[in-house]
Amino acid sequence: MISPAILTHDLTKSYGPVPAVRDLNLAVQANRITAFLGQNGAGKSTTIKMLLGMVRPTRGEGTVLGKRIGDAEQNRRLRQNVAYVAENKPLYGYMTVEQTIRFASSFYPDWRTDSEKKLLHEYRLPLHQKVKTLSKGMRTKLALLLAFARRPELLILDEPSEGLDPVGIEHLLQLLVAEAAEGVTIFFSSHQIAEVERVADHVCILNAGRLALNASLDELRQSYRRIDFVFPSLPPEREFCIAGVEKIQTAGHQLSLFASRNADAVVERGHDLGAVSIEVAPVGLRDIFLETVKEN
Amino acid sequence: MFFKLNPTAGQPLYLQLMQQIRHAAETGALQDGDQLPGIRTLAEELVVSPNTIVKAYSELEHDGLVELRHGSGAFITTKRRMRSLKDHVQVARRRLSKLIEQLRDEGLLDDEIKRAFEAELLHSPEFVRKR
Amino acid sequence: MLWYKAWLETRSRFLTCLATLTIFCAVFVGHAQTLLRREWTADYNRLLFVSQQYIVIVWVLAVVLLGMGGIVREKATGTSSLTLSLPVCRNRLLMSRVGLGLFQAIALGIVPWTTIFLVSSLARMPISISQVAFYTTLLIAGGLSYFAMAILVSSSVEGEYTAPAVAFGLVLISAIAFDAWLRPFSLWRLVSGDYCIDRQTYLVSHFPWRGTLASISAAILMLLASMRIIQSREF
Repeated sequence: MISPAILTHDLTKSYGPVPAVRDLNLAVQANRITAFLGQNGAGKSTTIKMLLGMVRPTRGEGTVLGKRIGDAEQNRRLRQNVAYVAENKPLYGYMTVEQTIRFASSFYPDWRTDSEKKLLHEYRLPLHQKVKTLSKGMRTKLALLLAFARRPELLILDEPSEGLDPVGIEHLLQLLVAEAAEGVTIFFSSHQIAEVERVADHVCILNAGRLALNASLDELRQSYRRIDFVFPSLPPEREFCIAGVEKIQTAGHQLSLFASRNADAVVERGHDLGAVSIEVAPVGLRDIFLETVKEN
Repeated sequence: MFFKLNPTAGQPLYLQLMQQIRHAAETGALQDGDQLPGIRTLAEELVVSPNTIVKAYSELEHDGLVELRHGSGAFITTKRRMRSLKDHVQVARRRLSKLIEQLRDEGLLDDEIKRAFEAELLHSPEFVRKR
Repeated sequence: MLWYKAWLETRSRFLTCLATLTIFCAVFVGHAQTLLRREWTADYNRLLFVSQQYIVIVWVLAVVLLGMGGIVREKATGTSSLTLSLPVCRNRLLMSRVGLGLFQAIALGIVPWTTIFLVSSLARMPISISQVAFYTTLLIAGGLSYFAMAILVSSSVEGEYTAPAVAFGLVLISAIAFDAWLRPFSLWRLVSGDYCIDRQTYLVSHFPWRGTLASISAAILMLLASMRIIQSREF
């Protein structure tokens, strides 16, 4: 079994009294696309910064590609095989596009000139123009190019589609999927739930610094259900306190349940209680996310 | 080959892909010996994780519909077992069309019929056995 | 490529300071001809001494300016995530900046004095190379602590404009302090040659080894402190 690309053990970071990240036990498997979801301030960027040695954990430890994140030299070595694009798509304004590429490529033996040329052409980036004079969209594309012109072992992206138009987003997802097909492990955070649902294999939801959900998307698709009943006379809610039921709502003769698993047991109970209408519907990732971060 | 995967349909994407490939093989859109698209190509075209494609192809190989030739790709093979399955499907479809006609005569709308089928299908096999 | 990046960052600052300093020296000394009286030797030497005073001021300001920047500043401008994700240790980031800055500081010390030498020779008032070398060495060796101070400030103080403000503020305060209370230990006077000038001939001699060594030691200490601070900082 290949060891996880990212593995953390009780990783905690506190700025003052409130922890930004608490007791995080993350396990991101290699050769998979894992999405990292969470509200703003949930601790996603802090976690990534701890993984890359920019922030020191208050407690706990972790490894990325088998190397300890807390050791400066090991962290430096792991960064050779990790491509990272921060949320603000950082670039040096005083460099031209060409200088930026020459600068970045000099640090990584996994740089692929063919990918670089292809992306330069597709993005139509002006080689001799200074970065500070580029439009926001162009800058986003250049920042992404610096990561996608490589074949790293791990690709970490923080809100990669921010600043891109729909065509750009589609192209980004194709690039992501192409990298994954080459064996690159991808770990990305995004607010675009629709994107995540299309390409991710696995999803981790961070809520107030804690890992609230950690599951494969296929599992979620198979187990989460919304079940709507119509009863001639409503039975008490406690009849439906079955394992897996996360939320119950009633309105008149209707009873609506949100279940993370055991949908069939719920349907059977409804049947036994005399429901005249049973409707079972799948639940999208957006609703799963909203329900997960609501329960505090 | 035109495949369309629905991320919000409540069904794993690899299962949807498997069904669509099976359907294509049954209706003849894919014939014995035809090559399926490469993993990377199909992943980029559908914009889904390559693991979805990999899992679909390997499950289909397990079921005997597909042969994975090392270095060349995935090819449809309709073995004897699959041909009899094709007959089963044809019989099932004839029965289904009769049932649907009946339900329509009883006054059910197509949408209602569809929802009823989906609700029944989403139950796990264990539940069905319990009943 | 880190040196290349540091060069691109400081290029315009450096070239502006170099041009200013060089032109100033050339013009100042070139005009010497009109200011001479009969005992021109002593007067000319005094002129050179005065030049050094001015050069020191501009040089120190330039060198402090060149010491600005680094990843702490990048945190304010938003590019620290890019720089810190590079597979290089933080010390190397600092050292490339310091290394380039040293070269630039040395160039800023050598070029003006070389200009003075050339202009003097052209004006048929040659000066000895040893004087030129003396002033140059004094300037650079003694003044390095100002550069190190700038590095330390830029490694500790966050904010795009706060760090330069603090650094220049410290230069001002040190100038006042050295003049008011610390006259015997004035770095300023050391660098401008005040401790080694012969008031009769206005020639400099007796290189102030102790003072220079003290200055270099202070510079090294400040550099080590900067390294420590950068290592432990969070971004």
